[in-house]
Amino acid sequence: MIIETATVLSTERAYEGTYITWFQGPGLSTNVEPGQFVMVHCSDEGVDPLFARAFSYHRVEKDRFALLYQVVGKGSGWLAQRQHGDLVRMYGPLGNGLRLPERPGNLLLIGGGVGIAPMVDMAERAVAAGHQVVAMMGARSAAHLLPASAWPREVEYVTVTEDGSAGPKGFVTQHLGKYQEWASKIYACGPNPMFIALADALRWNGRRQQPEILMEENMPCGWGMCYGCAIFTKHGVRLCCKDGPRFNLFDVF
Amino acid sequence: MPPSLQIDLAPTHKTGLLVANPVMPASGTFSWGIEFAKQWGVNALGAVVSKGITMESRQGNRQPRVAQTPSGMLNSIGLQNIGIDKVITEMAPLWEKWDVPVIANIAADTVDEFGEMARMLDGVPGIAALELNISCPNVDSGGLEIGQNIDASARATRAAVRNTDLPVIVKLTPNVTDPVKLAVACEEAGAAAICAINTVLGMAIDIRARQPVLPRARGGLSGPAIKPIALRIVYDVANAVHVPVIGCGGIATGEDAIEFLMAGASAVQVGTATFANPRAPLDILDGMCAWMEANRVDDIRELIGAARPQRG
Repeated sequence: MIIETATVLSTERAYEGTYITWFQGPGLSTNVEPGQFVMVHCSDEGVDPLFARAFSYHRVEKDRFALLYQVVGKGSGWLAQRQHGDLVRMYGPLGNGLRLPERPGNLLLIGGGVGIAPMVDMAERAVAAGHQVVAMMGARSAAHLLPASAWPREVEYVTVTEDGSAGPKGFVTQHLGKYQEWASKIYACGPNPMFIALADALRWNGRRQQPEILMEENMPCGWGMCYGCAIFTKHGVRLCCKDGPRFNLFDVF
Repeated sequence: MPPSLQIDLAPTHKTGLLVANPVMPASGTFSWGIEFAKQWGVNALGAVVSKGITMESRQGNRQPRVAQTPSGMLNSIGLQNIGIDKVITEMAPLWEKWDVPVIANIAADTVDEFGEMARMLDGVPGIAALELNISCPNVDSGGLEIGQNIDASARATRAAVRNTDLPVIVKLTPNVTDPVKLAVACEEAGAAAICAINTVLGMAIDIRARQPVLPRARGGLSGPAIKPIALRIVYDVANAVHVPVIGCGGIATGEDAIEFLMAGASAVQVGTATFANPRAPLDILDGMCAWMEANRVDDIRELIGAARPQRG
């Protein structure tokens, strides 16, 4: 873990209600695994909110990194207002990231809602390591999706929307179709209902793909001190920050 | 010359509890110390205080366990821990290697169980003292059930003291009319030191769901929001007891720690601040030293009780 004050390079609206902020922070950009997170102090005084908030790394490039986040409350609202040159205190990288298979394979990345955030970094690394990658991203509508240009060219980008405005209508877990058979490994990030549906969809023939998921829970400290972010797994209680956020899908759902 | 920070937190006890400086973590905000030891090292601290230990391992409460409030947090963790047996076999051997004394925080369900747990930890290498947690607000039995009752608090203290040669610190709840009476009763029952305070009962409501945020409705409020309450109780308790008082509640800076010392605390525990700043205990210690040097205070003992009324 590095405690660092990162410099904001830019903040832009990525899509409906969701922003992307690029930072310069050499320590925070080093040895980052896809799916790891950084704890960001989203206030001027450090009083409200008192704690830093966890954001997964969206992209990492040399000494720079980007966070993609939905504005949902005080902290994310504050962050979305940061502009070029602003300084933001944070610490990271934290948690256990996703693990790429050693041999090139067919990787299916599934993202729901803002669970898209860590999957772009994951896709970039997977492509660089020689894997075939399908990124299947679900959102409310076409207005809630990253543009195709946000993904590496080698990635097959498949979208599913609840209103059918981009790709098939419904949830990603209803449209796994041919990709489910094609995939040698599955990674997913999204809300718990998505994981429940994914576990149901994969229960009979998806175990071989050992799906790895990135979970989210309210994390006051981010490194195993407070025990606030408990996840109840089939093997007992775990901490999302320290034991996760990567879990095996079938250990939890 | 750097100021002298060493202090005995159990001068009335046969082994004492000598700490190199008065800064230690608060129980339940530091896990077992292993993460901190790996990240920054623990040997610069005055002591380490373990997470609350129960007789059996516990899963803790369901989510949500935490609600943030301005300048504070409400928690309802529910004493998630690995149980006393694993603490003895897996944690104590690691603690033994540290230069810093480790205080085991025990949270029994009953008065008698405090005695039993104290006996189990007696003589375990790596454990320097016990802290009785009679003040956890987030469990059904033990906790406040004991800590809000003067007689039960004294009996729990006595049960522990009789069963161990280790110094016994009692951590008090602020959720009583008169914490001073509690402190005096625990001192009379043999407590080597008093720690004040545990969290303040509070709650938050989700107005959209029209129900409490936390599953048990109530939770423990901590953080800068409770510092004035903690300071007042430390001041009152230190004025009434003769054993050392360890101050706890909302300490986030070196100046905060100095305030507690001046109120009469001989040491301080840092809790919620560590969630906001992973280096908080170390930064607070540095801040305290810097303040002492700037103000030409050579010895920590000059500060203890400096703001208290003179005893006649």
